[in-house]
Amino acid sequence: MEPCLENVKAIRRSKEEKKLLRKQIKASHTLLKHEGISTVSKPTKSLVVANGGLGNGVSREQLQVVLGEGGDVETLIMHPHKPYALVTYRTEVSAQRGHVLLNGRQLQCGDQVVTLYLSYVDTVDSESGVCAVLPPGLVLVEEFVSLEEEALLLDAIDWKSHDEEVTVQKALKHRRVKHYGYEFRYDNNNVDKDKPLPGGLPQACVFVLERCVRDRHVKVMPDQLTVNQYQAGQGIPPHVDTHSAFEEPILSLSLGAKTVMDFRHPDGRSVAVVLPGRSLLVMKGESRYLWTHGITPRKFDVVPACDPESPVAVTSDFSNHSNLTLSRRGTRTSLTFRNVRRTPCDCAHPSACDSQQAPPSPPSLPRSQTDACRLEAEYVHSVYEEIAGHFSSTRHSPWPRVCHFLSSLEPGSIVADVGCGNGKYLGVNPEVFAMGCDRSCALVQICSERGFQAFVSDALSVPLRSDICDACISIAVIHHLSTQERRQAAVEELVRLLRPGGRALIYVWALEQEYNKQRSKYLKETREQAPPGNSTDDHNQETKGLTGNSTDDHNQETKGLTVNSTDDHNQETRGLTGNSTDDHNQETRGLTGNSTDDHHQEKKGLTGNAVDSHNPAQDPSSMVMECSKVLPVKDSPVKLSVHTNRTAFNSQDLLVPWHLKDGGIKKGGRVSKMTKDPPIDTKSPVLAPCPVFHRFYHVFQQGELEELCARITGVMVQCSYHDQGNWCVILEKTRDR
Amino acid sequence: MCICILYLNVLSRISGSQATEVKVSEVEFNPNFVSRMIPKLEWSALVQAADGLGHLQDLPTELIADYEANEDFLRKVHRVLLEVEVLEGCLQCPESGREFPITRGVPNMLLNEEEA
Repeated sequence: MEPCLENVKAIRRSKEEKKLLRKQIKASHTLLKHEGISTVSKPTKSLVVANGGLGNGVSREQLQVVLGEGGDVETLIMHPHKPYALVTYRTEVSAQRGHVLLNGRQLQCGDQVVTLYLSYVDTVDSESGVCAVLPPGLVLVEEFVSLEEEALLLDAIDWKSHDEEVTVQKALKHRRVKHYGYEFRYDNNNVDKDKPLPGGLPQACVFVLERCVRDRHVKVMPDQLTVNQYQAGQGIPPHVDTHSAFEEPILSLSLGAKTVMDFRHPDGRSVAVVLPGRSLLVMKGESRYLWTHGITPRKFDVVPACDPESPVAVTSDFSNHSNLTLSRRGTRTSLTFRNVRRTPCDCAHPSACDSQQAPPSPPSLPRSQTDACRLEAEYVHSVYEEIAGHFSSTRHSPWPRVCHFLSSLEPGSIVADVGCGNGKYLGVNPEVFAMGCDRSCALVQICSERGFQAFVSDALSVPLRSDICDACISIAVIHHLSTQERRQAAVEELVRLLRPGGRALIYVWALEQEYNKQRSKYLKETREQAPPGNSTDDHNQETKGLTGNSTDDHNQETKGLTVNSTDDHNQETRGLTGNSTDDHNQETRGLTGNSTDDHHQEKKGLTGNAVDSHNPAQDPSSMVMECSKVLPVKDSPVKLSVHTNRTAFNSQDLLVPWHLKDGGIKKGGRVSKMTKDPPIDTKSPVLAPCPVFHRFYHVFQQGELEELCARITGVMVQCSYHDQGNWCVILEKTRDR
Repeated sequence: MCICILYLNVLSRISGSQATEVKVSEVEFNPNFVSRMIPKLEWSALVQAADGLGHLQDLPTELIADYEANEDFLRKVHRVLLEVEVLEGCLQCPESGREFPITRGVPNMLLNEEEA
């Protein structure tokens, strides 16, 4: 077979050139992966300039100058929020010159330095120049108040009493908020309609309201006002004002500096609307009930270049992007007037409506291979694809006992990590040849970017020869399989890969989160070991009322069991979003309020464990048996309950929530629901209503994993143990099979 | 995805026309590591794949005896095993002809529900 040399770029380059080329390729891969931009190797007139985008803080004017070094620029497209620009030169020669001169060029943008990487792209489509459309029901009225009136209003807001309650530090981090008329409640997302605040709305605002009524923006005088003050860099997470709390329209008067408010439709469409100072925003219909609105916390906005005072909307499609630039933010104060709703909401958007929404029907435990595949596709695979980046960022510390297993292998061993995730274990022992495979393309890509050997495959069908591996590991994987047969098949597949005498290490999440008087990390917020004498486990734990969001008929009280965290699992204090990272990096975002200290004193709001000092600890295995015995067998499908993170497991098959950190609705994401706590309607400093994803788990009882291995011929369980809330076994493939 | 993996893989056919982007990088040479890997490889498959990618160069088509002591040989193996990478291409199953894509260095070996 003739080698096709012209297709193969195998030229050795100098180290510097290679490094630049590597970075350029990496940039182009990122562009492909995240932005769908395909680069080509043959020169064309058009280039993508990675890191040269408005999203990087690079302004049009600045980039235009730099690109001009290559030759005449025909068009320069800079989409808002994007980390790249698309340039088309008049001639291919200019494009090539631009590439040579600018690839690797560093630009000073404010206090940052960005490095540009250029790659050729196929000709960029010319834009239609269609005007962007505001979300339905949204009206923007410019110059609603005069300069003098604006000054009067700003003067009338009394921040002093506010600042007494709030520490200076908080005021710097979060926007300032003040309410008039009615009080907000965080626990039910709603206004306390029976407790109007004394003083009502400030007298100074009355003329504004009268004007709104006169101009027919609203029929009834609003009775609730929220004032928000945003410094540059502050914002408010995307949200829909709770339907049942307020009527429509919602009126928002902007004072001070202009800003950009982002509106997003559930289908992923987004529109960015410039709100000039002294303008009134009227939200009715879809814009009030369906689209979320938010202000990204940042110091610059992208606005149209030619007419900065005009309230042009910029969409997520490709219109207008040849004419944008950056605008620095200043202090903005908004006065949002609303009418408190006193009857249930009957809007035309039930999907976003808390008055009308029925809870979605939960999935059930599968009873066939097809059902199992479908359940896993929805509640495992697609979830990991969506959360891969965030998930990977919380999985960076390898567990010691797994490392020990890997480090004790002979140099030159071949090791397969089946379900390798972000490749956490692939680099632990550089003396062995480790390969990872995972079902998630996004996670495998992360492994590849880290320089590990990894491929995408299913754990039940690993494309490696039999008897090839000296060792295998499968860490926190098999518990995602939804039937006993599939879990066993996964172990059998590991055994197939092993050479005779080879060993496999398997970790699965345990039903029993406390073992040998040690709580695992799943319930603990802090890392500290329970000091002696303050034992958490001399006492019988009762997890009363621990139901989470269970819809399961078989909800059991798990006597004698506490639930502790492992670092493989997302932690969340009840009612609050907070994704914790592993052992070494406790990330307790947002408000935790509830400490899970080693004395496990129950704090308010933490569902969990009452301490009873008079009852001795019960034998965990008998607790387990109690659990399984009580569960009756039914003909009808077993509904899967949703687990409340950081609490005891009340069933073996469940859905475990993951709160995606970056807030807002992910495009095309499989969002199980939007969390209702924390509250999403108040214009107060609260957390973003982040999307919640549910992952299927079958948590293993003590002995269950060993029992499963015992059913497989030709293997021997070398040892089994409990490690931080997991059941673990080391299996050996026997030589005489 | 280095060539090494391909031999460990049942589906080990890859040809020049199927690899559209191959990268060669420098990897630190560890003779012990290479020696230990060799017995685990299907030599003929390694040769075939290297050839298919246009990187056979002077790699012997037969495994030589006493390779552990032969640094020259080990270096040739090292190059092919660890330094030649397929970034874009596909793997073809010699039995079924089914192709599995390699994208940005990552092979996707998933079978459809019907095939599994």
